[in-house]
Amino acid sequence: MTDAEVTECLKRGREGDEKAILELFHYMYPHVAKLVHANLPVREGAEDLIQQACIKVMSNLHQFSGKVPFLHWVSRIAVNTCLNQIRHEKRRPEIRLADLSEEEAGVIEHLAAAPNELDASEKVAASELVEKLLAGLRPPDRLLMRLLYIEGRSIEDVANLTGWGRMLIKMRSFRARAQLRRRYVLLMKEKP
Amino acid sequence: MNPIDDQLNRLLRVAAKTESAPASAPYGLETRALAAWRAAKPGDGGLWDMALLVRGLMLAIVIMGVSLVPLLNSTTDPFSEYVQVADSTIASDDAP
Repeated sequence: MTDAEVTECLKRGREGDEKAILELFHYMYPHVAKLVHANLPVREGAEDLIQQACIKVMSNLHQFSGKVPFLHWVSRIAVNTCLNQIRHEKRRPEIRLADLSEEEAGVIEHLAAAPNELDASEKVAASELVEKLLAGLRPPDRLLMRLLYIEGRSIEDVANLTGWGRMLIKMRSFRARAQLRRRYVLLMKEKP
Repeated sequence: MNPIDDQLNRLLRVAAKTESAPASAPYGLETRALAAWRAAKPGDGGLWDMALLVRGLMLAIVIMGVSLVPLLNSTTDPFSEYVQVADSTIASDDAP
């Protein structure tokens, strides 16, 4: 859906056409779901948060001015909903090698032993390992790492989504990356 | 590049590729979302309130009108004036 089509849908919605609003809802839902899934480590709560973010978008739909692309505006609401949710989450304690599953420990083994990319069979375990490593970061740092490294967004993009300044993002990402590295090194040291 | 950083980058790259695909909207969310949009729709609630207020005012005026009819009739009825005069005469006669 282009921005012109979004504007047209909003116009129809203001005239009372609810089908147009539903079109917008189905257009933005996968985007919100993807963002929330990517930025919320606790998967059990993701569905509730997706619904919360969607309701927030729909409640504020009449405030959308069209100055920024629609999906961008939706993303900002979704990311802020995630931030509000994770702000009160506690940092998890350091993980030990014994806390990892056999597959996750195998991933560490593979990464250290071979310079090639991981096998398809190891990808799920690698993803879970990343989750565990990220869980030790402060919630805003965790979100930042996901946006930058997992979703591959630019600093400019992250600044627009979160409302944080570029300098703050750079500082936070540097600090978060260092912490992630430290946690990874601790695991490596335990490796037999 | 530092081997640790290289390993971490490879790990993050793999995690990025395995991000789960979004599911379709769950049952009921569509209705809730539409209800949220309707509730936040500007003007609608205000207009509804205004219409209700106007109706209430009109009803109040009608009730006031109906209740004033007997009062107006009683003040224009000559018999009622006669009764009032007689009543005041009796009251003054009885006074010590």
